[in-house]
Amino acid sequence: MTNPTAFEDVDVGDELPPIHLTLTPEQVKRYAEAANMPGGRFMSDELAKAEGLPGQIVPGNFSLALFSRLITDWSPRAKVMRLSATFRGLVHPEQPLTASGVVTEKHSSDQGEFIECDLVIESDAGDRLVTGTATVRLPPQE
Amino acid sequence: MAPKLDKSLIGSEFDHTEFPPVTAEHIREYAAAALETNPRHLTANDAELVAPPTYVVSLRGRHFMPANLQTVLNIGRRGFDAGKDIECGVPVRVGDALTATSTVHDIYEKTGRSGSMVFVVLRTKITNQRGESVAVIDQKMMLR
Repeated sequence: MTNPTAFEDVDVGDELPPIHLTLTPEQVKRYAEAANMPGGRFMSDELAKAEGLPGQIVPGNFSLALFSRLITDWSPRAKVMRLSATFRGLVHPEQPLTASGVVTEKHSSDQGEFIECDLVIESDAGDRLVTGTATVRLPPQE
Repeated sequence: MAPKLDKSLIGSEFDHTEFPPVTAEHIREYAAAALETNPRHLTANDAELVAPPTYVVSLRGRHFMPANLQTVLNIGRRGFDAGKDIECGVPVRVGDALTATSTVHDIYEKTGRSGSMVFVVLRTKITNQRGESVAVIDQKMMLR
């Protein structure tokens, strides 16, 4: 099931359709400005190098936002209840990236129906730059 | 023997910021910049528009961390963002007046291949004008 609309549509092991993208320097700068992250490291190679970094980097928050989009592209009805990310390596613009995820658990309680996912952003060399988890609420069939 | 890590700042509040009402323009700009595709975050009318879950990271208080953190922990200024956890509450909508309160949630040490590192978890609780929880954000900083 590509786009589940109800809790019953989802099985453990289901893969979230991956997002393949290469961020431009302008997209990274625009995100940093919209997210009120004025650090030079997010603005340009030149300012990042002045901070001792190899070049402009993608804010960790942008990676979290990509995880969020991965969930809602998969199931527009899903509500993200919790998002966690571990930043394991620097993410740069103009670097081909793949964001992907897999359903690891389903559980129900008197609080509702929940789905757990493992998430990752990888470089094209297979380096796991950002890993994470999400707890998602998806209502049952009516 | 290395001195014991001073954890006295755990629990201390270092920022409390009340933000101006959330605008439709900022929700749409954040969502577009974050490459969101869901119309609920982009093209819905103002009454139906909701911010994406990560919108709350754009709410920056006046103080990012306690001013005396590095002095108390006796560590250098080099640090980076090691991870983040967002527990989402009620959605952010146009006109919401949000308040963020930040505290030091945890301080701990880990020894790895490259030596000893100190981790500080900064917790920010964001509430709306009705006192409802909008988000609890744990930011993990690695300092050395």
